[in-house]
Amino acid sequence: MEPVTLQTTVNNLVDNTLYESLPYFRPELALCGTIVLMLLVRVFKGGELIPPFFIALLGSITALIVAFPAEGFESWMDMQREEIFTGMLVYDSLTAFIRIFLLSFAVLFVILSQLTGIADARDGQDYYALVLGATLGMCIMASANHMMMLFMGVEMASVPSYVLAGIVKGRQRSSEAALKYVIYGAGTAGVMLYGISLLCGVLGAAHLPTMATNLAALDIPQLLTNAEGRLTVMVLVLGGLMLGVGLAFKLSAVPFHFWCPDVFEGASAEVDAFLSVASKAAALVLLLRVGAGFGLTTAEDSIAAVVDHSAVIAAASDESTTPLQHAVLTAQTSVSGDSTPVGGGPLSPVRRFFVVVVSIMAIVTCTFGNLAAYGQTNIKRMLAYSTIAHAGFMMMAIAAAIALAGRDVVEARTAVSALLLYIALYLFMNLSAFAIVAFLRNEMHSEEIADYGGLIRTSPLAAVMMTAVLVSLIGLPPLAGFWPKLRVLQSLYSAGGPLMTFVLVAAAFNTAIALVYYLRVAKVMCIDPEPDTRGAVSLGFLPAAFVFVVSVPVLIFGILPGSLANLTDLAVSQLFS
Amino acid sequence: MLSIPFANLLTEPVGVAHYVTVGAILFICGALCMATKRNALGVLMGIELVLNGANLNFVAFGSRYLRDDANSLGLDGQLMALFVIVLAAAEAAVALAIALNFYNNHDSIDVDRADQLRG
Repeated sequence: MEPVTLQTTVNNLVDNTLYESLPYFRPELALCGTIVLMLLVRVFKGGELIPPFFIALLGSITALIVAFPAEGFESWMDMQREEIFTGMLVYDSLTAFIRIFLLSFAVLFVILSQLTGIADARDGQDYYALVLGATLGMCIMASANHMMMLFMGVEMASVPSYVLAGIVKGRQRSSEAALKYVIYGAGTAGVMLYGISLLCGVLGAAHLPTMATNLAALDIPQLLTNAEGRLTVMVLVLGGLMLGVGLAFKLSAVPFHFWCPDVFEGASAEVDAFLSVASKAAALVLLLRVGAGFGLTTAEDSIAAVVDHSAVIAAASDESTTPLQHAVLTAQTSVSGDSTPVGGGPLSPVRRFFVVVVSIMAIVTCTFGNLAAYGQTNIKRMLAYSTIAHAGFMMMAIAAAIALAGRDVVEARTAVSALLLYIALYLFMNLSAFAIVAFLRNEMHSEEIADYGGLIRTSPLAAVMMTAVLVSLIGLPPLAGFWPKLRVLQSLYSAGGPLMTFVLVAAAFNTAIALVYYLRVAKVMCIDPEPDTRGAVSLGFLPAAFVFVVSVPVLIFGILPGSLANLTDLAVSQLFS
Repeated sequence: MLSIPFANLLTEPVGVAHYVTVGAILFICGALCMATKRNALGVLMGIELVLNGANLNFVAFGSRYLRDDANSLGLDGQLMALFVIVLAAAEAAVALAIALNFYNNHDSIDVDRADQLRG
């Protein structure tokens, strides 16, 4: 055997980075290159003549193209989970899917920013550099496999967002929004880092799968029997909750939602679209990664994989059950009378804790968002509360996925697939809603719902598309928003147990109460008389085309959700294994 | 005998527990500072204290002189501390720029003056 010297270690590391990790990292590298190019091009003579929009568009399209799998989406079917950069990031089909999602959003968002004129010639470079930088951070968030990358990703996504919230200079409201965002954001990031330090210290690792293995080795039920062990568990719970504070802030989950309505009202509508779609999607995937990372070890997965429906039936009927299957069966039957069945195994207490915390937070977030949206007169503020409510709904899918992951991998994958479908359709719904708000703001300099009165007569396309998007946000059947909600409810049903049933009832109840405030806006636009103060409103050709292109998928996927649903199913086909 | 909490720290040789105690005190000071200061710069200072409390934890957990067992965080801890220092600097730069922008628009950096957005 070759002796291990520093030279061989360094050589191995360099080879691993250059030939194994970096090829998976090409889209992010393209984003990095674009940012550097955009900032440097001004230095050279004639560089300021190149519009930053073109560089940003070209860069994001390049990143999107390299993000597509070379062998087609079917290659996701048997794509193994791969750890890159010595375990810092994880590359699997979920990473690939969410990266394509984030980069498609970046392309559409760059076009939207150009059309609304928020990024003018003077600070276009800064604006696009911030947008692409935040997108890069979100890609890292979605593929984090190490506590450092988790924190780095959250910060890389947050810090540019703080600036974006205040990008419109000289407006009091805009600067107030940025200040509130940066203070809440930095505060929760600090608390999250402290929680991470506690978790890492107790578990003696920062690599997520190693942490899970060490957590399983701690044997939590045994720890709870003595006083010192209870202290250890207390520190773990405290660390977990502090980590949750940072994630809840990114998700704008109650009780860390204060910033969301204020920032959305103060920032421009384009930036709101960015925060509500891309930032939320990355945070949701990160929450899923944290839940699956702490709640499942590779050893436990093999047990869970054995316990498909058929395997349980076969094992029950068969006399010669292996000890392993027998243990699993007894574990399953012993927890079947439980309020939150999460399966057996050494990490089941962690999963139960995660599921209970996330589902209670999800119920409160969803209900609060929907109730608070009622009295709003500003459309951006109303959509902010709508975003909070939708984030709550999507968190329910994560709770269901983690609850199912220990028992039934196939159903857990279905729950994650529902989440991804929700995220993907939410892009079209929220991007077109905020695009319409932004274009109308340019035309009539108002974002009050009352000023939208009678819009159907002066600007029929905007009014019709906005109505379609709002109905889709409610989740009514002929439109796209219905399918993800239905699939989340199905997953909650299959998760079973009183808590999940309660979540299911709360979710259904919330869909009903959301009806009124969305339809109120639709009524104002389509039935109410036009306000006297408003002049003629007409979108230009390009804005109208953009709105049309972004909102037509809401109609198409409402009738034919199959292709997108197949894609999300493919993206989760190797998850939890 | 009267038992004072943390009294054993005074008689033991310096170990991880001492560093973590200082880290916890820094964290609590920072959290109190964030909660009570009305000046935006004071709040930002509190955030720095919190980040440094966490950093102290990372360094202590990672140090092989303080805890040389299988559970040590090793170089991961030192590296995370280094990265956090850089991120904290970047965040502070952005936060100060935003505070300056707020000052230009409001002639004050009192966070209670940020009350136009509500409802």
